[in-house]
Amino acid sequence: MNNASLYQFSTLTVILLMLAFYGGTYLLTLGIRKKKEDADAFMVSNHRVGFGIGAASMTATWIWAASFYAAASSGYTYGVSGPIHYGLWGALMILFIYPFGRRFRKLAPNAHTLGELIHARHGSSSQLILAISNVLGSIISLMVNFTAAGALVSVLSPLSFQAGVIIAGVGVLLYTLWSGFRASVMTDFAQLVALMAIAVVIIPAVFFAMGGPTELVAGLDNLTPEQANFFSVDAILNQGAPFFVAVLAYAIGNQTISQRLFAVNEDHIKPTFLTATVGYGAIVIGLGMIGLMALTLGIEPMNGDMNNLIPQMVSGYLPPLFIALFFILVIGSLSSTADSDLSALSAIMMADVYGKNIARGKADPQRMLLVGRLTMITATAIGIVFASFSLDILVMLVFVGALWGAIVFPVIASCFWDRITNAAFTTSVVVAMVMFCLARFEWLPLAGATGLLFEVLASIGGGIIIGLMVFGFLGCTAGFIAGLLALVAMLVFATGFLRDYTVLLASLTAYGTSTLVCVVMSLASRQERFDFDTIGERVGNYHDVTPADDRKSTKPKTETGGLATGTLAGQR
Amino acid sequence: MTTLFGFYVLVWPALTLGVLILICRAVLRDRRDAKRDNRELV
Repeated sequence: MNNASLYQFSTLTVILLMLAFYGGTYLLTLGIRKKKEDADAFMVSNHRVGFGIGAASMTATWIWAASFYAAASSGYTYGVSGPIHYGLWGALMILFIYPFGRRFRKLAPNAHTLGELIHARHGSSSQLILAISNVLGSIISLMVNFTAAGALVSVLSPLSFQAGVIIAGVGVLLYTLWSGFRASVMTDFAQLVALMAIAVVIIPAVFFAMGGPTELVAGLDNLTPEQANFFSVDAILNQGAPFFVAVLAYAIGNQTISQRLFAVNEDHIKPTFLTATVGYGAIVIGLGMIGLMALTLGIEPMNGDMNNLIPQMVSGYLPPLFIALFFILVIGSLSSTADSDLSALSAIMMADVYGKNIARGKADPQRMLLVGRLTMITATAIGIVFASFSLDILVMLVFVGALWGAIVFPVIASCFWDRITNAAFTTSVVVAMVMFCLARFEWLPLAGATGLLFEVLASIGGGIIIGLMVFGFLGCTAGFIAGLLALVAMLVFATGFLRDYTVLLASLTAYGTSTLVCVVMSLASRQERFDFDTIGERVGNYHDVTPADDRKSTKPKTETGGLATGTLAGQR
Repeated sequence: MTTLFGFYVLVWPALTLGVLILICRAVLRDRRDAKRDNRELV
């Protein structure tokens, strides 16, 4: 098994498989295609997407190709608890955002992006910070997904890496370009059904083909004591903790999530996100178990590449039909995320850039659609180029992660606290980024008083993360108490210790600094308190909607950037 | 121990199947409601 090579499809088989997948998906979108798409539907459908489609779309979007590979790597590296430490925290990213999502939706029921809400709350500078972080995140995600397609095609067939990247890029663009978000959610459902059905079959199939529970237990002798321990500290510190820190940042910084928050029927936000949490966790942890199986069998990843673990196991224990199913599983997962990224990017360029900053309240819906489609084409081209040349995006990844961490508190606080100002929002993010760089790249020696200063800021960051999570579910008092307790615990246990873990220290510093600066500047400001009721009035649809002619009018809005007189919200 | 590990591995595909059934039933319901209200599913 260790010396075995991966099963190889012929070029024709792989091309037929991809044609069947993308062709089928494209045909599916023909059923929802309209002669004249409108800008609102292109960005968030009708704000009334049902529970089933919403949950399917949220789950499919959050599962990307890397989810399987990384979960399996985690199982292989950290043993028994590894898959949990990857899948659980990823799932909680979906869970922890929904209480805040309900608030976003209540404030701006007709919004298309979180940036629009922030624009109505603060103005352009804060909105653009959020928009830029979203754009960078989606570009990275696109590139990673196209890269996964290229890698999969190149290891399972004679086709080149670049061919896989191009087929995936063009295939995704083909079915998303015309109907935008509507195509994305519709195809997400079909892709998720395929993905889940395949996962349900593949995991037990590999498990029993390798010998079942008896073989797994016998193979536990191959594990180190840490790997065999379900409560492994090693797994918690190296895999669980960094993910836990990122739970809120990923959710806030990702337009694919906000887009679904604004698209799902308001009454169904909670069940939609709860179901997606369980669905994501089950699939990803389940596939992560294949990594654990490989570890117990003593299998070495081919060429030392952990990404080969699942293909190796499927190739080694199952017939070619299952390998084809696995191929579809990965292509489906990466395509559902890539189409969501294209939809997210187009919505940001349409609403945040064109609608709010170029047209300045006089947006022409037809021009918005053009902007959206051009964005999709450009983003796909960028994704393909970045992926084809395997460009190093590590620095970009580090910065985007920090930016997402830095905006968490200002964004959430802006939606609950009427004293947060635009200057406080913007300044806090900029200062947090500077402090992050100082710690992350060790531009200042993290020793003595400087080290202590960063640890205090990081402790505040830790307190804020816990505080916000508890606040989302249990309210202000509980959140404040939990945050305070976490801060004290961090100050006691992390001082003199955290400086040795610069990645974690820098991330927490970004949270802590932005919170501190944002709160101090807001308290010091004499600006009038903000009236949250005005947000709903400032954020609206771009097309007229009348019950008799559902979203067929293309009359542009002329004043607020679109307060539709007969909006869907009004009809509800 | 064997049963426990068997359960630990197989509970995830079982959960996945449960969510799959839940989502499919919900989509069928969404589709029926959309037809009844004479509107589109998405």
